[in-house]
Amino acid sequence: MAIQSPAELKMAELLVEALNLEDIDAKDIDPEEPLFGDGLGLDSIDALEIALAISQEYGLQIKAEDESTREAFATLKSLTHYVDSNKG
Amino acid sequence: MNNHTAPLIARGANDPIALLLSALAPLSGVNGIITAQQFLCHVHCLSKQLPEHQYVINLCENRYLFMVAFAASILRQQTSLLPPNKKVMTQMRLSERYGDVYILHDGLLKSDNENTEIALNIADINVLECKFTESLCTEACPEIPLDYLAAISFTSGSTGDSKPNLKTWRTIIESSEINARHMLESAQSDSCGHATLYQLATVPAQHMWGLETSVLLPLFESICVADVKPLFPQDIYDALQVIPKPRMLVSAPVHLRAMCGSQLEYPDVELVLCATSPLSKELAINVERLFSAQLREVYGCSEVGSMAVRKTAASDNWYLFTGIRVEEQNDGTSIASTDYLPASVVLQDRIEMKGHNYFQLKGRATDMVDIAGKRGSLLEINQVLLNFPGIIDGVVFMPEAEDKRAVARLAALVTLPEGTDSEDLRRYLRQHFDNAFIPRPIIKVDSLPREENGKLPVRQLQDYYQQLLESLGHR
Repeated sequence: MAIQSPAELKMAELLVEALNLEDIDAKDIDPEEPLFGDGLGLDSIDALEIALAISQEYGLQIKAEDESTREAFATLKSLTHYVDSNKG
Repeated sequence: MNNHTAPLIARGANDPIALLLSALAPLSGVNGIITAQQFLCHVHCLSKQLPEHQYVINLCENRYLFMVAFAASILRQQTSLLPPNKKVMTQMRLSERYGDVYILHDGLLKSDNENTEIALNIADINVLECKFTESLCTEACPEIPLDYLAAISFTSGSTGDSKPNLKTWRTIIESSEINARHMLESAQSDSCGHATLYQLATVPAQHMWGLETSVLLPLFESICVADVKPLFPQDIYDALQVIPKPRMLVSAPVHLRAMCGSQLEYPDVELVLCATSPLSKELAINVERLFSAQLREVYGCSEVGSMAVRKTAASDNWYLFTGIRVEEQNDGTSIASTDYLPASVVLQDRIEMKGHNYFQLKGRATDMVDIAGKRGSLLEINQVLLNFPGIIDGVVFMPEAEDKRAVARLAALVTLPEGTDSEDLRRYLRQHFDNAFIPRPIIKVDSLPREENGKLPVRQLQDYYQQLLESLGHR
């Protein structure tokens, strides 16, 4: 597994908290594994939960219509990067 | 309407029926408002290009294309199968069950590898590749036989083998009229005479709730529906900004909660309709404040369709729609019936009639669980769990309410042999169930808190689960 950056660990903790992933240790989420589909197996309800948690934590609104959103939700790494470069 | 047929739509030729928020490739030259006349032209054009099959699975994402495809299939007297989800596995099950099936979609991928979004052995038509003439056609509004089977919805179960519910054209016509009366009552007349309401819906057209509100209401009532299906709060905000007034919003608790939590200030709407799973009074009050609107929560099930409404911010009482009858049974279940359904239906909720036309909900009457509007049987999920190779013991259950999340999730406690981890189990469960029913968390334990006789009392299970969460460092 790739090594988490501190920002990725913080995002991983937010995911675990927002998505009831109590059986998963935030430290064990591979930054480069897919979040949806196989990997963590998240679904559209989770996407909504993640968007909500991110808007509350970082004040950033996520939009599905942005081309970049699909890529952003791909992995922990891309999500962290997206939030980092878009938050106010 | 006579005794045997009823028209496909009941709108004036120039009435706005749909609103395209962006141009759709095959409908060149059309943008913004679509009139009933234009809609009929699109329906006629498409119906001539549809293949000869008895059943159709309409997977169009764009709400307008779904509507055109749905109406075109009706014109050809094909029966629409309304799948609980878009999974390839679901398509294959429907195809095995009904045989003469094809798929209508607006851009799904078909390829001979695991990325395919369409089952390889099922014929498909991409509506985006169909031809639509620009000139206005003059065909009259078609009449549809009342006894023709227009659609089959499925009680959204945890597996694909869910119960079919038959919707004849008569059922659709009569239920739509009653729905309009109870869902839209006074929302149109209060402020603006009988002006057209512009509708934004966040729910899929394939789901009964989305079908009744965002597809069928525009066919018969003064509703103009936007063609999008926004998910995130910001997308919903953006769509509402460009939709003309007066507006209505059709949604579900999970979306409304995200909107309330988003810190966005939404434009006013006239009416918010919500269904699929129970809404809390607190959230209902917040929604009314957020949109300066009245919120009406609708109760229904795919067997009957919508059947009761409450103003959740003010009252716990659900008022039955005209013509719907509910009878409590001795075993705690209730039975619903109405003239436009062929048979009465056993409801999955415990209903307590408080007066001749209103009731309160008292929880589930059966082992059915509801996750974001999808219903599944705990019994069935547990049976599949215990068939996991090597499993020593295990249980899937619904943890007691915690309000942290919009959607409650199932949890599982399992005892697995050495060398097997919960990830293997998760993969196995995913092959059998919709994502919504995959327990989360799945916690490995040495043993379950069973009594000596082997029973696992609910109270004991819930307490044990809370202790486990605490020891794992969570509240």
